[in-house]
Amino acid sequence: MSRLVGRDVARVEGRAKVTGAARYAADQPVAGVLRGFLVLSTVARGEVTRIDTGEARGGPGVVAVYTHRDMPRLAVPEGFYVKGFLPMQDARVYHNGQPVALVVAETFEQARDAAARVRVEYRAETPVTALADAAGQAYLPPPFHGEPNEVIRGDTGAALAAAPVRLDVEYRAPAHHHNPIEPHATTAVWDDGRLTVYESAQGVNATRQMLAAALGVPPANVRVISEYLGGGFGAKGLVWPHTLLNAAVAREIGRPVRTVLTRAQMYTSNGHRAEFHQRLRIGATRRGVLTGIEHTSTAQLSRTDQSVFNSSIATHTLYACPNVHVRQLGADLDLPTSSFMRSPELAAQFGLETALDELSHRTGVDPVDLRLRNHADAGPGKHLAECYRMGAAEFGWRRRERRPGATRDGDEYVGWGMATETHTYGNFEASARVTVGTDGRVQVAVATQEIGTGTYTVLSQVAADAVGVPLDRVTTRIGDTDLPPAGLSVASSTMPSVIPSVDRAGQDARAAVIRLAVADSRSPLHGVPPERVVTDRGRLVDSADPSRSDTYRAVVGRHGRAVPATAAVRNTPGHTYGAVFVEVRVHHRYGRVRVTRVVGAYDPGRVLNRRTLRGQVIGGVTWGIGYALTEHTVVDRATGRVVNPNLSTYLVPVNADAPPSVTALFVDQPDPGSAAMGAKGFGETPMTGVPAAIGNAIFHATGRRLREVPFTQDKLLL
Amino acid sequence: MRAFGYTAPADPATAVRLAAQPGTTYVAGGTDLLNLMRDGAEDHEHLVDINRLDLAAVTADDAGLHVGGLARMRQVAEDRRVRTGFPVLSQALLASASPQVRIMASIGGNLLQRTRCGYFRDPGSACNKRVPGSGCPAVEGQNRMHAVLGGSPHCIATHPSDLAVALLALDAVVRVLGPDGARQIPVGELYREPGDTPHLENTLRPGELITAVDVPGGPLAQRSRYRKLRDRATFEFAVVSVAAAVHLRGGRVRDVRLAFGGIGTRPWRSPEAEDALRGRALTAVAVAEAGRALVRGAQPRQHNAFKVELVQRALTGALHEWGALR
Amino acid sequence: MSEEEPVPVRRRTVLKVATAAGTAAAAGAAVPVTGAAEGATAPAATVPPTVPAGASVEITLSVNGARRRVAVEPRVTLLDALRDRIGLTGTKKGCDRGECGACTVLADGERIKSCLTLAVMRQGSRITTVEGLARGDDLHPVQAAFIRHDAFQCGGCTPGQIMSAVACIAEGHDGSDDEVREWMSGNLCRCAAYQNIVAAVRDAGREMRG
Ligand SMILES: Cc1cc2nc3c(=O)[nH]c(=O)nc-3n(C[C@H](O)[C@H](O)[C@H](O)COP(=O)(O)OP(=O)(O)OC[C@H]3O[C@@H](n4cnc5c(N)ncnc54)[C@H](O)[C@@H]3O)c2cc1C
Ligand code: FES
Ligand code: FES
Repeated sequence: MSRLVGRDVARVEGRAKVTGAARYAADQPVAGVLRGFLVLSTVARGEVTRIDTGEARGGPGVVAVYTHRDMPRLAVPEGFYVKGFLPMQDARVYHNGQPVALVVAETFEQARDAAARVRVEYRAETPVTALADAAGQAYLPPPFHGEPNEVIRGDTGAALAAAPVRLDVEYRAPAHHHNPIEPHATTAVWDDGRLTVYESAQGVNATRQMLAAALGVPPANVRVISEYLGGGFGAKGLVWPHTLLNAAVAREIGRPVRTVLTRAQMYTSNGHRAEFHQRLRIGATRRGVLTGIEHTSTAQLSRTDQSVFNSSIATHTLYACPNVHVRQLGADLDLPTSSFMRSPELAAQFGLETALDELSHRTGVDPVDLRLRNHADAGPGKHLAECYRMGAAEFGWRRRERRPGATRDGDEYVGWGMATETHTYGNFEASARVTVGTDGRVQVAVATQEIGTGTYTVLSQVAADAVGVPLDRVTTRIGDTDLPPAGLSVASSTMPSVIPSVDRAGQDARAAVIRLAVADSRSPLHGVPPERVVTDRGRLVDSADPSRSDTYRAVVGRHGRAVPATAAVRNTPGHTYGAVFVEVRVHHRYGRVRVTRVVGAYDPGRVLNRRTLRGQVIGGVTWGIGYALTEHTVVDRATGRVVNPNLSTYLVPVNADAPPSVTALFVDQPDPGSAAMGAKGFGETPMTGVPAAIGNAIFHATGRRLREVPFTQDKLLL
Repeated sequence: MRAFGYTAPADPATAVRLAAQPGTTYVAGGTDLLNLMRDGAEDHEHLVDINRLDLAAVTADDAGLHVGGLARMRQVAEDRRVRTGFPVLSQALLASASPQVRIMASIGGNLLQRTRCGYFRDPGSACNKRVPGSGCPAVEGQNRMHAVLGGSPHCIATHPSDLAVALLALDAVVRVLGPDGARQIPVGELYREPGDTPHLENTLRPGELITAVDVPGGPLAQRSRYRKLRDRATFEFAVVSVAAAVHLRGGRVRDVRLAFGGIGTRPWRSPEAEDALRGRALTAVAVAEAGRALVRGAQPRQHNAFKVELVQRALTGALHEWGALR
Repeated sequence: MSEEEPVPVRRRTVLKVATAAGTAAAAGAAVPVTGAAEGATAPAATVPPTVPAGASVEITLSVNGARRRVAVEPRVTLLDALRDRIGLTGTKKGCDRGECGACTVLADGERIKSCLTLAVMRQGSRITTVEGLARGDDLHPVQAAFIRHDAFQCGGCTPGQIMSAVACIAEGHDGSDDEVREWMSGNLCRCAAYQNIVAAVRDAGREMRG
């Protein structure tokens, strides 16, 4: 019976978060903890030739200064560590901002001061740091984690040649950084060969595996704890050098060490959304029916890895087009390894959805009609057509003036644009334990993570319903490798991966308690057939004779021992869809763009918690605004140094940038293919179309087509 | 950040005596100084905390407004006399930084804050301002936010203060106290262009303390406005900004002051643009001419050429929005 | 406030002083100067206290209503004093440069960014952190409104948002949605719960004015 799931339940961890009681990685009190501080390279390519640590070592409170000469030798772990090399194992420098020394001191201030006193000399080589400088060197990288970088369907060349309407357009996006508010923090505590790490990690088990592999200790001897994350967005999904180096030096020194990255260090230490160029060649009929799509993208790679994260997957799955050729090229630059960042398909989606708008304009077919005309059926789990209809109706799309540049309100041009949203959510194995205690309270235990998407809340809801107790009787424990294992909280996979196991474990625990009750001569339910017993709000009731009832507390209390149940149910990955409609206003004189109204209609499968789901929508929309209008990691082309490694010149949207009005609509149909009570992975969906929708709206407002983000005012001086 | 010493004197004379020592500087709000020291852009052995000094008063008399060097940004922005008699100051301050920073930061510190050029703030990059002779990567590098006026091959960093632009438009004068006594410096003479000494940013002598800023009042000050353009809705330094004070009589410009932010290596006053307007009817043609006069001699770089256009639009828009222009 | 002048302390003597300070505080007396730098034997109120480079100084802060003595080097920010020395980790460090607002606290009732001020500069101040808002189990109206309106996701920015919101309301800057949007823009929320933050601030403001 479902009482809580689907309801707009307030976050169960809300109190901890609003009172400051929630402990994030750097908040964990650890007695005698030393502070580590990284020294990062100031060249992008070359070698450390000399490194003088004398002054740093002599500083007050300094315990140790490690360089590549004396950093313990570690194995380069594989899997969740994608950098391809470990810094400080030799003199080689592969990117600017690469760790070259690690200072450990009694206090943060001492460590930071000493770090500034480490003198490093380099033999520098000329780096290549921009895609534009490596254009000729793009190549097709081998499949990444089994995902091919080239997909061919039909004969695109012939289709394009024959198409009555042809489009050949290019789009560009610079690098972006995740910038969670909580910087990366890692604290390593060794005790007799066993390691405990407090980490801001989107995957405690992944972190454990990488630490174990790098340090050469059995995974069982490594415990990773991450109770709360102050945001991740992908930055904390993989494991990065500082975590491994910090643990290694803590072992050497024999005392706990904590290293927290500075904001500036985060710009070279935990991946980023790679700079991305794309070219789309599209063929269509005069009615806007797609006949061929050739989508060639080029992403920045580094010289030490070949990981392509900006996937173009939507191009061959989203629309019904018989001839598709997708190629994801890479170019090796002397930059840090990139990684996934919220909605990794966004970069390609920006291109595809803008190109469709261009096609729309060329053919005169309304953007919504064009998409409906090319809709690809994908079975009962896809309600995209419904999303278009719901969103368009709510937005008032049909009243849209056809001509671009035709609507002016005061000093601003007003434009409407739309785009399709889609995200491929992942799935990881997860096992969960649900325990009913002798006090009748329920504990959920699973080593997943809370990154702000509402894990504590939704798992508590699911378990409360599965067992049949009120929400306040459930405690959820996550973020600790001592708990039953689960995977990464990335790719919107947490809920679809974990919920089936929590639900099953909850049902199993419930069944176990019912069995105890009916077998217990002291229970009013003694002798009742178990299948007749229903549970509700902490009570067990004979459905045939409601006067016979018992409580969890009484049954398990009499039993004298908690009743645990563990389950591992595997779900499958899938796709989530949506349609987003935006209104922008463009100042006629200054070119500044404001997003004033957004309507999104989504197909997230079954809605488990409308509130946390809406949170992802407003968050995703504002992320889309950042991508479209303000965010840009500026890299000095000559040196490969990030020029704006902060939050005052890397422009994350502020409160006043967020649109005053965002409406989120949900189809709310369970996906029969999802074992997570019909829910799909959703968190990253409502961003994927926003930048294109904004660009399309700018075109509608002004008649000017922008193909490179960010759409800053200098590009719109009309 | 090194371990520095700290003194919090109670009287200006002691403060000045201490601050004249080498390796010593003042801290007021600390909102820029701490960042400069953390970044490694500045390094001081000793800080003189001036917050105990009695320099926070804002007063007004016939001569105009007198703002203590330790008055806080918010305090000045919200002062009723400032809002009505010197709106450009209030507007410039309210368009600066964030509410928290405005509560903390002082007027003196605001005027002496340093450029936000990313190369300057990064000890891992070359910068003539930070390490004279090391080079200026911005000239050929990432210079979208850099100056198009007043630059040299050695430096094209902008001065970031909004307030300074507004004060410049009002012909404000800075009062300082130094080891050799008190003196006055017009805001227009406080800042230097980089030339071949970009590390010398202002004309203060060692140990000089900004005790107050005097702002002449009158019809110009009353009819002054600040317009700031930026990429984010708020909480950002200016891409370009305009401080304008216009006194119209009988449809003609009797007097006018125009100063600009985001385009110059120092807060940028444009007598040329003012001359183009003085005595004329404020028509679109006249304003366009003023705009052209302003940017004559501009030296745009690879990424900041748009500022030449945008600042002219900002000027037009500013005058237009305030109803001065028809 | 004169009995709360900072007292300079040489590094090696910090521990000793901390102990002495404990007794002094218990006795309600002025803090004795132990092994202090030159000039420190004179009454602190009349001589500008100088802390030599490398030394620590013991300061007194009133944090969430409790008197706290803490020995800090002058270079320690108020934020790091709260987190690393006093153990109040509710206040977050997001950027350590005044750009995110996660470290917002109230100092003598006004919102400030605690990463941009030195602890020594706040000698004698009344500091309120997010830990000091609730009265026992009763949440502050702003805290309750944040939960009601789902005005956070990860919670990383939340302590700063809440402290900023308390001040924003006290300042009277919560009159309209647009006003709140502007006056809460010194606090970044990367999860971008902005619309909900605006709703929470407006709601709490109305409630607090009754
Ligand atoms: C995130 C952020 C955003 C910002 N955005 C803006 C913006 O949009 N517009 C803008 O204009 N500013 C902006 N600022 C800058 C801010 O206005 C300055 O940091 C502030 O005004 C400096 O004042 P302060 O009292 O804190 O100075 P401090 O940091 O204490 O000092 C700055 C400098 O001035 C010297 N000094 C201070 N007072 C005196 C005095 N009385 N006499 C002599 N020397 C003195 C100090 O020695 C130091 O060199 C921003 C700052 C931050 C952190
Ligand atoms: S930590 Fe202080 S503002 Fe970011
Ligand atoms: S709640 Fe995550 S940053 Fe605001």
